[in-house]
Amino acid sequence: MSISSKASAGHFTILYFASASSYTSKDSEILQAPLPLSKLFETLEERYPGIKAKVLESCLVTVNLEYVDVTGESAGDQTIIQEGDEVAIIPPVSSG
Amino acid sequence: MANELEMHEEECYVALSYEPLDAKAAMDRVRSPKAGAIVLFAGTTRDNFRGRPVKELQYTSYEPRALQTMLAICKSIHKKHSLTSIVMIHRLGIVPIGEESILIAVSCPHREAAWRAGEEALEECKRKVEVWKREEFGGAAGGVWRANRDGAAGVEIDPVENEKENAPAQGPHGPILRPARPGEHGHGPVVM
Repeated sequence: MSISSKASAGHFTILYFASASSYTSKDSEILQAPLPLSKLFETLEERYPGIKAKVLESCLVTVNLEYVDVTGESAGDQTIIQEGDEVAIIPPVSSG
Repeated sequence: MANELEMHEEECYVALSYEPLDAKAAMDRVRSPKAGAIVLFAGTTRDNFRGRPVKELQYTSYEPRALQTMLAICKSIHKKHSLTSIVMIHRLGIVPIGEESILIAVSCPHREAAWRAGEEALEECKRKVEVWKREEFGGAAGGVWRANRDGAAGVEIDPVENEKENAPAQGPHGPILRPARPGEHGHGPVVM
């Protein structure tokens, strides 16, 4: 899988892996930026009904390769996903 | 190896590879006149999930993120156990049954630390590294994404997976038939 399809102006790239990829039938897509991190899951739920309960609630999220707190009360409220960012949905891993 | 993605820092080397893994090459990377022991772990792909035939396994990864996590694990364990050298290589793509999906090699002046470091590196890898395993059952049966955290399937691609509530707890490499140590994941205890 090629990781980054380059987002155009006013957009960011979101990557889906494993169960998130199966649920969306996509490896990645382009969404509108800026987007508050706290609105990410509900934005995805609108596009893929049911994804929050079935997939996202067990997932972590990275922005530009760094893990961010998307569900906690603290950080999620302030962080804004910016144009050109690479966001990834990280399901529970199964390496080894 | 073609198509290989790799990172290294001092005596820590990590890689992802779409080609078959080479255990001897991993050992040779950590070999040193300062080391009195090399411990090599090779994780290989099983042909069944709770008795149900698995045709092949497929691994995907968030490659740049996984390499960073692998390097962080190796650096931490290298320091903690005063290793001479450590290598962690994970295979991606389709892995036929019985082949290596992961190699960890550590070298150390003495074997005790090498055993411990090898085990810890594997457990940390299985807990954190951004690689996902999909078991393909073949034909119309489809496949399922695994999760190391609890052995559960991720998105349900196959309803048969729901029948198994009374079966033994599932570790990443098979049913767990003995109690786990606190904090244990994966391949079971190291016997020393």
